Amino acid sequence: MSSWVERAWKKGIVTTSYPAEPATEEEAPPSGRAPQVADCSSFAAFAAAAESHCPTRAIGASGLDQGKCIRCSRCLPSGFRAAAELEAASGGRSSLLWIDGVPPKSTAAPAPLAPIGRSITVFLMDAGSCNACNLEVLALANPYYDAHRLGISFTNSPRHADVLVVVGVPTAGLVEPLKRTYEAMPSPKAVLAVGACAIDGGIFENTPGLDSTVRSVVPVDLFVSGCPPPPLAVLDGILRLAGRDRTRSGGSP
Amino acid sequence: MSAPPPAGGSVPARALTYVDAERTLALRTDYERKETIFERPPELSSEDLGLVEHWQARGRPHRLPVGESVEGYGVFTFPYGPVTMGVPESGAFDIRTYGERVLELVPEVGYKSRRIASAVVGRVPADALLRVERFAGNFSASHAAAFLGAVEVANGIRVPEEELWTRALAQELQRVYNHVRLIARVAEAASQNVGLAQAHALAEESLRLMARTFGHRWAFGAFAPGNRFRRLGPDDRRALGERLRAYDREFASLWELFLGSRTFIDRIQSTALVSRADAIRWGAVGPTLRASGVAWDDRLRAPSPPYTDLFVPLAQGSEGDALARVLVREEEVRSSLLLVEQMLDRWTSVRGGEYVPRPPVEPGRGIVRLEAPSGDLVYDVRLADGRVAALGVRTPSQVNWPLFALGMRGAVFTDFHFALESFGLAFADTDG
Amino acid sequence: MTNIAGVLLLVSVIGLFAGAPLAILSRRLGYAVTLVASGLLVATAILVLAYGPVTAISWSGVIAEPESMRLDGLSAFFALTAGIVWIGTSAFSLDYDHHDTPWLAVAYSLTLGSIAIVLTSTNFLVFLAGWEAMTLASYWMILEATGRPARTFSAAFVFLAFGEGSSLLVALAIAAFYSLSGGFAMTAITVAGPVTSLVFVAALLGFGLKMGIAPFHMSEWLPIAHSSAPSNASAVLSSTLTLAGVYGLFRLLTLLPEGPSWWGGLLLIIGAISALLGALFAAVSEHAKGLPAYSTIENNGLILVALGVALIARAEDVPTLFAFALFAAFFQALAHAVTKATLFLCAGYIERSTGTVDLNRVRGRPKGADAAASGAILVASLSLAAGPPLAGFVSEWMILEALFQSFRFSVPALQFLGLLAGAAVALAAGLVVVAMVKFLGFTVLWKPVATDRTPRRWGLSTPIAALATVIVALGVLSPWILQFLTPAASTFAGYSLTAPVSGLLAVPNGWSIVSGSPFGILSPPALAIALVLGLVPPLIYFAFGGPRKERPTPVWSSGRAPSAAEETYTSFGYSTGMRIMLRGLLGTREIRQRAGPAIAAEVATPEAYNVDLEVLDVFKVVYDSLVRAALWFADGLKRAVMPGRIGRYLAYILVIVLIVMVYTALAL
Repeated sequence: MSSWVERAWKKGIVTTSYPAEPATEEEAPPSGRAPQVADCSSFAAFAAAAESHCPTRAIGASGLDQGKCIRCSRCLPSGFRAAAELEAASGGRSSLLWIDGVPPKSTAAPAPLAPIGRSITVFLMDAGSCNACNLEVLALANPYYDAHRLGISFTNSPRHADVLVVVGVPTAGLVEPLKRTYEAMPSPKAVLAVGACAIDGGIFENTPGLDSTVRSVVPVDLFVSGCPPPPLAVLDGILRLAGRDRTRSGGSP
Repeated sequence: MSAPPPAGGSVPARALTYVDAERTLALRTDYERKETIFERPPELSSEDLGLVEHWQARGRPHRLPVGESVEGYGVFTFPYGPVTMGVPESGAFDIRTYGERVLELVPEVGYKSRRIASAVVGRVPADALLRVERFAGNFSASHAAAFLGAVEVANGIRVPEEELWTRALAQELQRVYNHVRLIARVAEAASQNVGLAQAHALAEESLRLMARTFGHRWAFGAFAPGNRFRRLGPDDRRALGERLRAYDREFASLWELFLGSRTFIDRIQSTALVSRADAIRWGAVGPTLRASGVAWDDRLRAPSPPYTDLFVPLAQGSEGDALARVLVREEEVRSSLLLVEQMLDRWTSVRGGEYVPRPPVEPGRGIVRLEAPSGDLVYDVRLADGRVAALGVRTPSQVNWPLFALGMRGAVFTDFHFALESFGLAFADTDG
Repeated sequence: MTNIAGVLLLVSVIGLFAGAPLAILSRRLGYAVTLVASGLLVATAILVLAYGPVTAISWSGVIAEPESMRLDGLSAFFALTAGIVWIGTSAFSLDYDHHDTPWLAVAYSLTLGSIAIVLTSTNFLVFLAGWEAMTLASYWMILEATGRPARTFSAAFVFLAFGEGSSLLVALAIAAFYSLSGGFAMTAITVAGPVTSLVFVAALLGFGLKMGIAPFHMSEWLPIAHSSAPSNASAVLSSTLTLAGVYGLFRLLTLLPEGPSWWGGLLLIIGAISALLGALFAAVSEHAKGLPAYSTIENNGLILVALGVALIARAEDVPTLFAFALFAAFFQALAHAVTKATLFLCAGYIERSTGTVDLNRVRGRPKGADAAASGAILVASLSLAAGPPLAGFVSEWMILEALFQSFRFSVPALQFLGLLAGAAVALAAGLVVVAMVKFLGFTVLWKPVATDRTPRRWGLSTPIAALATVIVALGVLSPWILQFLTPAASTFAGYSLTAPVSGLLAVPNGWSIVSGSPFGILSPPALAIALVLGLVPPLIYFAFGGPRKERPTPVWSSGRAPSAAEETYTSFGYSTGMRIMLRGLLGTREIRQRAGPAIAAEVATPEAYNVDLEVLDVFKVVYDSLVRAALWFADGLKRAVMPGRIGRYLAYILVIVLIVMVYTALAL
């Protein structure tokens, strides 16, 4: 018994100070962040060079769709700088489309859970993921991120949940369960689609038999891009739903 | 309980059978003679057909044909899943019970089927790899290595030895992550919350190690066909080595505490027993097989470089209960760390070396098996014109589900999570 | 007043019997007459409790013994209890009995009449005759089960066998009593001696058999649970037939001199074991009638426990505790009879409206079932689960309170016994909660089943609701009820007692039940008022349209289609945990049999099994093996003595003749 205490004491505090402080590279590695063009003026040239490499057609002449990007880094040789701000990874569907590779100017994201505010209960639903997103979301419970310090807790039933976190591309067998899960949640409620698969299908977009996207099944309030997004990006998304994110509160939640 | 093995004494191909898009191929491991046989079975036994049908049903939810059917007064079906946070993935279980005790458990898989095996057909290996990596995110290094290996066998490409070593390094790191996380999950089921936090933190640290070493927490994109892999510089290797030594110390002292925690040990001891006979008969793989007393590890018995050059400790149990499986995994955390240490020590010696894969069983076709964290993973890739023509995958989770169902017979509800976690099964790994 | 009461008594007993011939004319007429007669019996009993004993008629018996039809304080209490129950069951039967033949009604009427004879007789011969008539009439009632399933006969026969065993032991007790008093009249004997203990033990076993206490509890559960006896019959059997057993025991103890303290100890042991066994089996019963039947065993065990404490207290000379425990026993008898009758009628209602008595298949009340019956099920099962402020709660509290005071005994062994009994009773109370939650949960509280609407049956639900009201009234008004029962307790004690009722703190005098001086105190009326007052603010809040913080959502079945949730937890599953945990006591075993052909013909067909988790009444095993032994012995004897050879038979005759000759010669 005492040895557990001793161990805990020795381990010390490992918890991040996010969102009071910005995320470190350790907490959100470049591969987890939104790619960004080094030089905005020449986006068209980069896009032309990188378009053929992009496996999910996230890069096009019109812009860079963060929602489709799976961070495969194939476009890196074409001049993309890897890391934008962590908070740039989430937003409404339209704000994830970076025209000319530039993030849209401060779009006011909706905060449907602002009335609930400080205590948010999260239900995670796997609509057909590879497990990486699940594990990243669940990692929020580990001591490094400890979402509980921000009043965020996980529940085992959608009936107790305020936020439905959906990961994965909805497979044939899970479209109906996804709908039922959403319906089983009491209002007010919000849906957070986490990961490229949950946004537009990611790498599995246009696969025969995977015809649905999460937003075609349930109304999604906020998207967190990435493949998978790092835990802090998910945390940012949840806080954003409650109007408590870094960008809004200036760093102090 | 179950029917006796068919006459002839050989191990039935049963669980080791998989079906690709066009035809059936059996892979059989004769544990007694320590041989691996790739063959087309002359004919499938009636027992096998159940599983063949099952794999043909891929793409939609279906019950695994593992159950007995149980009727009786007051007996009812307790449906669990597909959406539940108790199991953080989507997959269902039908539990036949008269209350409290599990009479029969039938896993229902296929909910998460993303049709990867058919989605990669017609793609170049590099694009196929993006999907294969996402077969199961937490086993991505193994899936990528197996797929790339099969492609290389099929093409007859010579592979830089350094690349093989890098793949192995990623696999071992991921093995550490999965095993530590599994221990955390068992601690969670046992409400050993201090242990849960500590193990959870260690799991996170292994993910960060992976990100630091391979640029990605799940090693997505770390490898690609054609000699395009992430090369580890001497600084990377030195930093990794130092961190791993610290990791090893911390894990060892944590495990010491777990061993002394009765809330942890008592709940997994004698839980979900899998006998040696059942493990062999159902073709169990990985830690599940080893915990039941069969000394089989692909890294030892069917090794490919770099394991041929390294000392691979064999973790083996005998009791076949959840505790034995957790113990095997605990030992494998250590052995993986030891393997990484060996690799880092001898890294420079392999620079420039090349590995010539053995010739394919038939032209354009490569079959590779390797030891993924949960056990023996098989990739069967056929190429045509440089594109994937067919893909057959047999994952450890697919094989081990029946063992879980078997182990749960007669257990009580509260054993469920201990049992499930001890097998290290993943629906993503099953459905693909 | 006395004259009126006497006439009333006579009319009511005659009325109870008159139901039988009238029922042959019309079933409903028969039940109506027993209903009126029961009302008259209640009225008589109230008059007796208020104004003193009454004698209807007196005559000289067959062997020149004085005999009369009489109610004194003690028998008036039992007549009152039985009468209340019979009013309910008779009214219920008017609509319930849909048999083709009138014989159920006839048997019912005869049972009631003969119980009345038992209660009103002052002579043991008449008592015994009534006792025997009661057994036969109720045997007939059980035989009239709907559809007469095959095992009805064997179940009824078991009942008869135990009934006759009871009669035999009662007769033995009476014979022993006769040897002391020299007559069959119910007059007190004063000389104590070993024979009084014989009377006591024989009476305890004989009357205990009727009460269904351990180790004879099979006589209670088997006929009801296995034969599916009609519900009105089950109610009469379980409430009032066992009540006759209680009466017999109380009556004999009134007549016997003060016994040694081991009498009470014996009662305590038997009572506690019965309570525990009854509760245990109630908790694992899935039968809508079997469950209340097991609960009867528990409740009768509690009566014996209370009586046991009273007897020990008398022997140990603790008069306050004696009085308190005695009142507890009386109140328990009253509360149980009314509650159990209600619950059996509820079971009958459930059977009528859902067509099954298997709790696994009842699955909630049908849509449109009336609230009166549902409320009655709620009240009756809560009362048996000792929910405040209902009757069962008050009696359970009083009994536990009496047991807590076993420290007042001077002998350590008795103190210890009191502690053990207290633990057993408390455990039984807990187990009964499990049983009642199951009964309640799988009937009323379950989501209504959307089957075809069954018409409301006011004829069935009104009597049930009326009885449920009595349960509430008994609980809330318990201090005054106890005071009213004083004559009964005084008759038992032989001197004037006062009810353990007073006031304390802000509660007015006469509102509280006090045990010891003062040890524990409870005021059911004040409790009831507090409960109601607690309901007032939320009701006002909702009445004036205060906002409700509700976030309604549909039923969640882990993402499956709602149809997948149709097959749900069974009532069997609810108590399997207990079956497995207490397998040592319940003798639980799993029987697994392969169903169908040994080798599955189809490819990959899973093997099919039948699984049964059985619990076993150890005593039934003993009885079964006794029966087997008797049959084996008889069979062997038959083979040995009667081989069917003429020579052997001639030899027997010869031997007999020789014996007779020798005897005659010696006698001469």
